[in-house]
Amino acid sequence: MKIPKHILPFAFIGPAMLFLAAMLLWPLAQAIILSLQSVRSVGTTGDWVGLSNYREVLIDPVFWGSAWLSLIWVLANAVLQTLLALVAALALNQSFPGVRIARTWIVLTWIVPTVVVVMIWRWLFSTSGGIVNPLLMLSGVTDAPVGFFANPTIAFATLVFINSWRWFPFITLMMLAGLTRIPRDLYEAASIDGAGPWKRFSRITWPLLAPTLGVLLVIGTLLSFNVFDIIWLLTAGGPADSTRTLPVLIYETAFKSYRMSEAAAVAVLATVFLMGFALLATRWLARPPEAR
Amino acid sequence: MTGSPKRYLLLTGAALLAVLPLGAAAQVDLTLWHMEQPPHRVERVQILLDEFNASHPEITVSQEPQNWGEIYAKAPAALAAGVGPDMLFAIPDFTPILLGIGALTSVEDFVTELDAEHNFNPSAVEAYSYDEGVWAVPLYNMSMNLWYRPSVLSAAGIDVPQTWDEWKAAAETLTGDGMYGMGLPANQQLYTDQTIYSVMANGGASEIYNADGTLNFDNPHTVEAYSFYNDMLAFSPPDAASWTWGEAEACFAANSCAMVMQFSVISTYDTQAEGNAEDLGVVAIPSRDGDTSNTIAYTNAVMLLSQDEERMEASKTFVRWLLEPENYGRFLNMEPGLFMPVTADGAEAESFWSDPMVDKYRSQIETVIENSQNGMLFGFTSGRVFPAISAISAQNVLAETLQSIAIRGEDVATAVTDGQARMQDLTE
Repeated sequence: MKIPKHILPFAFIGPAMLFLAAMLLWPLAQAIILSLQSVRSVGTTGDWVGLSNYREVLIDPVFWGSAWLSLIWVLANAVLQTLLALVAALALNQSFPGVRIARTWIVLTWIVPTVVVVMIWRWLFSTSGGIVNPLLMLSGVTDAPVGFFANPTIAFATLVFINSWRWFPFITLMMLAGLTRIPRDLYEAASIDGAGPWKRFSRITWPLLAPTLGVLLVIGTLLSFNVFDIIWLLTAGGPADSTRTLPVLIYETAFKSYRMSEAAAVAVLATVFLMGFALLATRWLARPPEAR
Repeated sequence: MTGSPKRYLLLTGAALLAVLPLGAAAQVDLTLWHMEQPPHRVERVQILLDEFNASHPEITVSQEPQNWGEIYAKAPAALAAGVGPDMLFAIPDFTPILLGIGALTSVEDFVTELDAEHNFNPSAVEAYSYDEGVWAVPLYNMSMNLWYRPSVLSAAGIDVPQTWDEWKAAAETLTGDGMYGMGLPANQQLYTDQTIYSVMANGGASEIYNADGTLNFDNPHTVEAYSFYNDMLAFSPPDAASWTWGEAEACFAANSCAMVMQFSVISTYDTQAEGNAEDLGVVAIPSRDGDTSNTIAYTNAVMLLSQDEERMEASKTFVRWLLEPENYGRFLNMEPGLFMPVTADGAEAESFWSDPMVDKYRSQIETVIENSQNGMLFGFTSGRVFPAISAISAQNVLAETLQSIAIRGEDVATAVTDGQARMQDLTE
C-alpha cells in the first residue's frame, strides 16, 4: 500500500507526538485539573474551587519573592556559565599537547552525579575541615571563616557558582562544536590583514558563534530555571528562604505545607511562563541574523 | 522418546508434587522503610533481617532505607500510589499525617499483647495513643543531651554548666583558637526544631498548646528561650545555619566544637575521634535556673500499613520477633548509645549491654537513659496529644522562627508572635 505523500510526514512524527502527549500533555492536564481543586495531601480528594488557587498564589508575596529569585537565578547562571564556557571553549579550541585529554576531562564535572557534587562542595565549604576557608584566611581574603550556606547573599551566590561549575562543561562542548565550524582560513586572512586577537574574536568568532549562543541561551534558561536538586540538597531553600526559587517553593507547598492544589497552580504558572519564553526565543532564533 | 503416555503422566505428576508441595503456606514478602540511613545501621538491620528471614521461611522482610527530610512527602505519595511499605518507622508527629489520609489502622490490641509480654514504658505508648486508637508500635527512645570533653572544660577551668548563665559563660570562654564554644544549628530543619525545643523545655516553655488546644507558643518564656539561643549562636561556627545532625557531630569529633547538643556522639567519637571513653562527657541540657533537666525525647515506633490481613499478620510476627530481648538489644545497638529501650525486659537485655561499644561507654549510656526520663516532645506534653502539631513539625516552624531572628535579624518577641501566627495558619 502506498501512503499518500502529504500524509507521510505525519506517519513519521506520529509516534513521537503520541509519546510526547503521553509523557508531557497528560501530566500537564492533570496538574491543571489539580490546580482547580482544593486537594491538600497526596492521595486525598478535594472540592472544585475554580481559579481561587491562582488568586491566592498571585496575591501571595512569597510567590513573587520566589519568582524574583528564579529570575535572578537564571540570569546569574546564564552569565557565569556563558563566561566560564566561553573561556574554556576558546582554550580547548587551540592546538596544544594534551588537548584531547583536556576535552574529555572537562566533561567530568558534568557527568558526576548531583549528590556527589553536593557532598564535595558541602565538604569543601565546611568550617569544620573544609579547605576553602583556610585558603581564604591564609591568602588574607578574610580573617574569619565564612558560612557559605549560612548567609543569605553568600548562600545564593555559592549555589550559582556550584550550579555553573556543574553545567558549564555542557555549554563548553556546544560552543566548541560551534567554534570548530568556523573556517580557519578566515582567521588566517584576518591575521594577514593585521587583525589582532581581540579583533579576530570580535569580528569573526563572536558573530559566527552567536547562533550557537542563542540556542544555548534558550536551553540554559530552561535548564537553570528548573534546577531543584542542587538547591534542595545544599540549602533546602534557606537560609531564611533566600534560595527558595519556584521549583523549591512548589515542592515545599506540595509536600511540606500539604497544599497540593496550590503547588499545582504555581507549577502551571511557571510552565506557562517557560513555554512563553521558549516560544518567543525559538521564533527569534528562527529569524535571519540581520533581522534579530 | 519412548514410553507410554500413562508412564509419562505419572512421572510429570510426581515431579510437580516434588516441586509444589501441597498445603505449603504462601510466601509473604514484606517491605520495611526506615530512616536509619548510615551504612552501619543499614548493615545491622540487614543482619537482623537475614536472621528473621532464615528462621521464618514463609516470610521475607527486605529493608529500604529512607530519608527523614523526604519521608513526610514520600510516604503519603507512595501509599496513595499503592506502592507503600508494609512497615514504616515513625516519630509521634508523623502518624497523624498518615492517619489523615486513611493509611493507618489501630494496633491497640497488638500493643496490649506486646505490653503484657515486654512491659512498655507508658510514655512510649502514650505518644501514639489518640483519636481512639494506638497508631504505631513503640520501638526505641532517643533524647537530646549536652556532650563535651571533660579535658577541654578542665583546661579552661570551667565546670560542667547547669544554668543558662553558666552555659553561656562556658561557651564564650571556650570560643577561640580555632574552637567554637557551642555547636548549635540554625537551619530550618528538624535538628534545629529539636535543639531549640530542648532549650525551651528548660526555660518553662515546653507547652506549645494550652490544655484546650489553643496555641501557647507566644509567651514570655518562649521569647526568653529564643533570645538565649540566639545569643549562644555567637559561639557557634558560622555555617551553623546550614547544619543538620552530621555537621554537629563532625564539628565535635574534629574538636572544633567544645560542646554540642546531640542525641549521641558516641559512634562518631569512637570511630573518628579519640575514642577515649574517659574523656567523653554527657549531661542533661542546662536549664535557665538549674532547676530542671528537661530535654526533647522521641519514641520512635513502627507503623503497620498493610491492608491485607495476611501481610499484617506477617508484619506483626516480625515486630514480635524484633522485641524479643535476644534480638532487641542488637537492634538498638545499630547505633550504640543513641537508641534506648522502651520495654522493661529490653532495658535489662544481655543483648543490649553486652555490645562492646555499649560496654565501653556504659556510664555515658546510663546518663543518657537517666536524662531520657525527663524527655518531652512538643505537641505531646503533659499526657495530651495534639495531632495538629504534624503540620507545624513538617514545616519546621520552631526552626523557621529562629531563622527569622538569627538570619533576618527580626526582634525576638515579634518573631515569636509571627511564629504563633504561622502555626495557627498551618493548623487551620
